[in-house]
Amino acid sequence: MDTRAAVGFLAPAGVGFVLFLLLPTIAVLVLSFFDWNLLSDGTFIGFQNFVALFSDTRLASIYGSTALMAGGILVINIAVGLLLAVLLETRMPTWIRTFFRFSFLFPFVVSSSAVALIWRFLLDTDLGLVNYWLGLLGIPHTPWLTSTAFAPFAVILVNSWKTLGFSMLIYIAGLQGIPNEVREAAIVDGANAWSRFWRITLPLLSPTVFFLIVINLINGFQLFAEPQVLTQGGPGDSSRTVVQYLYDTAFQSFNLGYASTIGLTLIVVLIVLTLVQFRLSRRWTFYE
Amino acid sequence: MKLRKRAVGAIALGVVVAALALAGCSSSSPAKSGSKTLDVAYWNYGPEALTNQNSYAKGFEAENPGVTVKGIAIAGTNWGEYYANLATLIASGKKPDNAVMSSEGVKFLDQNHLILPINDYLKSDPEGKSLLADIAPGLMKSLTVGKDITTLPDTWNDMVIYYNTDLFKQAGIAPPAADWTTDQFEAIAKQLTDKSKGQYGFAWTGTEVFPGVLPWIANQNANLVSGDVCKATANSAGVEKAFTFLDGLIQQGISPVPPSSSEVISDFQNGKIAMFGAGAWPIATFAPAGFTSYDIQLYPTGSTYKTVVGSGGYPILKSSANPDLAWKFQKYVTSAKVQDALIGTPTNPYGAIPTLRSTAKKSADAGIPPANYKLFYGSIDDHPSLTPFPGPAKYTEFESTVLRYTQLIFGGNETVEQGLDDMQQALSTIVSCK
Repeated sequence: MDTRAAVGFLAPAGVGFVLFLLLPTIAVLVLSFFDWNLLSDGTFIGFQNFVALFSDTRLASIYGSTALMAGGILVINIAVGLLLAVLLETRMPTWIRTFFRFSFLFPFVVSSSAVALIWRFLLDTDLGLVNYWLGLLGIPHTPWLTSTAFAPFAVILVNSWKTLGFSMLIYIAGLQGIPNEVREAAIVDGANAWSRFWRITLPLLSPTVFFLIVINLINGFQLFAEPQVLTQGGPGDSSRTVVQYLYDTAFQSFNLGYASTIGLTLIVVLIVLTLVQFRLSRRWTFYE
Repeated sequence: MKLRKRAVGAIALGVVVAALALAGCSSSSPAKSGSKTLDVAYWNYGPEALTNQNSYAKGFEAENPGVTVKGIAIAGTNWGEYYANLATLIASGKKPDNAVMSSEGVKFLDQNHLILPINDYLKSDPEGKSLLADIAPGLMKSLTVGKDITTLPDTWNDMVIYYNTDLFKQAGIAPPAADWTTDQFEAIAKQLTDKSKGQYGFAWTGTEVFPGVLPWIANQNANLVSGDVCKATANSAGVEKAFTFLDGLIQQGISPVPPSSSEVISDFQNGKIAMFGAGAWPIATFAPAGFTSYDIQLYPTGSTYKTVVGSGGYPILKSSANPDLAWKFQKYVTSAKVQDALIGTPTNPYGAIPTLRSTAKKSADAGIPPANYKLFYGSIDDHPSLTPFPGPAKYTEFESTVLRYTQLIFGGNETVEQGLDDMQQALSTIVSCK
């Protein structure tokens, strides 16, 4: 009876996992050995798509721009998210706390495309509000979306603005999980706020930090909507992500086989990065 | 042993999934027979698309009792995405009878053997012949591959310059003449630029090739691809001259770094841009909003003048079980009855140019804005030197590649020469007839 109930409860998640994750992943693996343009019959070509990876100069540079943007988003989420969470956990009237929590979390629940669309208007070089306001301060127009130097940072800014609320929320949960007795003991021992943060709060928060690093890095490498709407990956490939390149290869070049191979490289990269983080985390993560 | 079994099982499952996926893409599955339902795939670019499709469907059903027209809405933010999604639809096993197609997609659909040419129908059907006589030959040329005529056009556009008549009056500038030159254009655009008001003399879109760089390239007697669309010619002298001219407009502050198409139209309407280039589609936005302070003129002459043309229709797909009925539908959407009904009113006009010359004349006579409306059809009748829209078989990839390099050039990240050389290199593997 217990087994049946367990299977019953697990079935919806299990079916979803098999249909939407496992089977597509296996299909991607198989398709990577085919030359298929959606409309023709597929042709088995062995490892040709994998060999093509090594001569694809665009893929290497796109991995570079993806890593840059994922790294930027990670740093902002980890550092600024923590700062906001700590500030919002200090003493203040409840309505102010609620107001700020809601304000920071709100962008997270809005559609990525909608957020990016609004930012695209704001960041337009010549007609955008951001440059207009900066112009009032005497700052010359910045080509946020049309310069190879600024476009990746525009994507980092917009995605961080959207996701920061999530990191902040997780940090708040982590902060609230730290036992008061530990803090009180530190106060009794004469530790000031600065020492308490570095020696008590941060070490006890390290599992939360670790969780957020893993999640934000995976999300960063899977960026799609923001660069697609803001810059279409440009100028050139400066703000193009691997997922965009995969999409373009599949649905612009109609090369489903090679797109699947690119998808496999992303799976491998993310698995390796996550394993490395798990390995390294043993040195700096503390569990009570 | 257990592990081995699992591994083999996983591979087998994967193969089954792939086989199912690949089977779905085959175009050899048997077509439905005896059906009186016509499946028509169309680009669902907005509410107007659905309205048009419904009106076509209802009209055709009324004329052909017992026939049901079923619209298949296909999403996409541009033609390239529409074709990608159409291909996905066909790969999933759907077999539309007709599908909306523009010049951009002619080669793509033809090379994948999806279109049933209409040459035989045109030879034997007097109604088809009569329609053909009322259509500018240049339009048919843009829809012909080799000797195969892919479809009759139901809609088309050419590229013209829109100018804000209020801003011209305020600056004391006379409306431009049809034979104005690029030098005269530049001088006027400079005069209409006012940095203190955030007003630019001219802007072009950075998200589309057709109303973006192409007319300027055509008027330097060049194109991004060879005449047979088999070879890229992106770094030819004419293309370089056109890009240098446009880049100069940005350097002088006359034009902004190219924004998106929708931003160009809204900024023109708001008076932030004095001139821009497009087909007839902006009039469907301007008129209902009550914006009437504009007129149109031909693109300025460079080393030559060539009208840039793009058209579209409802080709019969080879997968159709009812090709005769699909042909009837194609004729219906091109017929005078339907084209006349599309004209609309001066406050709610149709956002494309009618394909029948007689209907275009009726539109101008009905007072459809702008004042120089007759220029739309006149640009192809009076200027038979045309540049058909470059539509290689890999159109979607072609467009995104061109836009990728135009962004680099006009964003000041690469010089015109370097950017065009890089574009040429990237396009050389995309534009091919092999």
